[in-house]
Amino acid sequence: MKKKISALKNKYESTIVWLIGFLVIWEIGAYIVEGTKRSPENVLPHIYQIVGSVFRTELVNGSQTLFQIVLSNMGITLFRALIGYLIGAAAGYLLAMLMNLFRPLEKMIFPYLMLIQMIPILGMAPIVLAVTKDIDKSRIIIAAILTFYPVATNTLAGLKAVGPQRVELMHSLAAGQIEIYKKLLIPSSLPYVFTGLKISAPMAITASILVDTLQGGGGLGCILSQSLKHATSIYIFWQIVLFSAVIGIASYYGISLIERIVNPAMKKRGSV
Amino acid sequence: MAVLEIMENEFQERDFTLPVEQKTEIKIEDLCVEFPDKDGGDPVVALKDVNLEIRQGEFISLVGPSGCGKTTLLRAIADLQKATQGKIEVRGQSPRQIRLQKKYGIVFQSPVLYDWRTVRRNVCMPMELMGMPKKDRTARVSKMLELVGLLEFGKHYPHELSGGMQQRVGIARALAIRPEILLMDEPFSALDEFTKEKLHEDLLRIWRKTNKTVLFVTHNIQEAVFLSDRIVVMSPHPGRVSAVIDVNLERPRGIEIKETPEFTAIVSQVRRSFEGI
Repeated sequence: MKKKISALKNKYESTIVWLIGFLVIWEIGAYIVEGTKRSPENVLPHIYQIVGSVFRTELVNGSQTLFQIVLSNMGITLFRALIGYLIGAAAGYLLAMLMNLFRPLEKMIFPYLMLIQMIPILGMAPIVLAVTKDIDKSRIIIAAILTFYPVATNTLAGLKAVGPQRVELMHSLAAGQIEIYKKLLIPSSLPYVFTGLKISAPMAITASILVDTLQGGGGLGCILSQSLKHATSIYIFWQIVLFSAVIGIASYYGISLIERIVNPAMKKRGSV
Repeated sequence: MAVLEIMENEFQERDFTLPVEQKTEIKIEDLCVEFPDKDGGDPVVALKDVNLEIRQGEFISLVGPSGCGKTTLLRAIADLQKATQGKIEVRGQSPRQIRLQKKYGIVFQSPVLYDWRTVRRNVCMPMELMGMPKKDRTARVSKMLELVGLLEFGKHYPHELSGGMQQRVGIARALAIRPEILLMDEPFSALDEFTKEKLHEDLLRIWRKTNKTVLFVTHNIQEAVFLSDRIVVMSPHPGRVSAVIDVNLERPRGIEIKETPEFTAIVSQVRRSFEGI
């Protein structure tokens, strides 16, 4: 028990050291950039300026403060990312099941899945937009496509990684296909599924922000590109950077938390 | 206490003064198993012309060097491996029929526990497959864990147990569905000597209480002599039965029997039958 606590302390210590190092490098960079004085507003603001901008109370567009603008647009983007994520995860999981049930199917469609994954999002977005003719739908679809692949590949790997003796045990007990899936394949592949979900959660959010920039209609990406073009305050950009990082990390740990609830054996083992 | 009482009712101690039942449990006739060669060459002959009769309630060991087909023979009886030629009859039925009736209990070399399930739920799993009502399952799991001495570890996960304890969970799981025949494939080979000796005594105690027919695969001669009524010595290339040796040692047996001249005599008899190979 004592050992566990000291290990935990160590983990926090390393995080704090890392954070301080990061802040120091940032501040050095901010001073150098400030010295060049290319623009009236500091292109690389100090940390305190960014944090301070979150608490600014003056209204920017007549009704909202900087932070309120970021927050409301973040809600829009996260909602799209979440829907895309859920659709992609469900589709990826089901397809992995199908590919495991019918092995020829795997050989047939797997190369195409990889192909889709190879197309850059910025190239794919206009194609999806042309097909759906709706920017909101295409935002969701692209988040789904990015989620889909890691979930499908990891789930399939998990289904294949089940030990042959575990399957033989099921055979020796005269278990049917449905029972083998229910009692063995689905639970034993869960850690793999969650690995896929953890990889794709931040990806779905990043993709969502990126696709936002293509057209208006609200979302973090829209106000981000406006901010970068100096149409609005540069602090919107930096607030988005700050909060996206927080959300990305939070999404990862959120999935880990769900995993521990779904798979209690995991919790006892203490691995994330 | 209540659990113990139920146990005494179900498992009647075997009376060794009575002669062992001579009813045939498993009958193997001219069994051949071949594995096809992947490169299209001659198939690998794993078992050739195996003839063997196993009596009901008998503890029988298959001993031999690796490659002698002892595991293949066990797997063929368990219907996990198809026979190329010959016939296996278990209680007058095919191995497949017996498997589908869930009359086999199998213990593998590794415990093969499901690590997302607690010890209790691992033992419970075969009964879930049988569709046993939950109340009966709970009682039965307690009884089985009591039998292998792990009642207080029910809520633990497999990775929290030692190798010997995990193997005992495997045995409890195999016995949970009241199998007629217990098939054990080198179940103790990965364990240390002390744990092994403890489990040998436990296994004999459980066997005495349950009256199952046990087929035990091992490459350890001492282990085979200590546990068995008869030892089937197998030889490789191709796998076949080269000798069947009776072990006429008194039961119940304790560790001290290993130091008697009778025990040593049988061990050397088995060893000699290997030298002839």
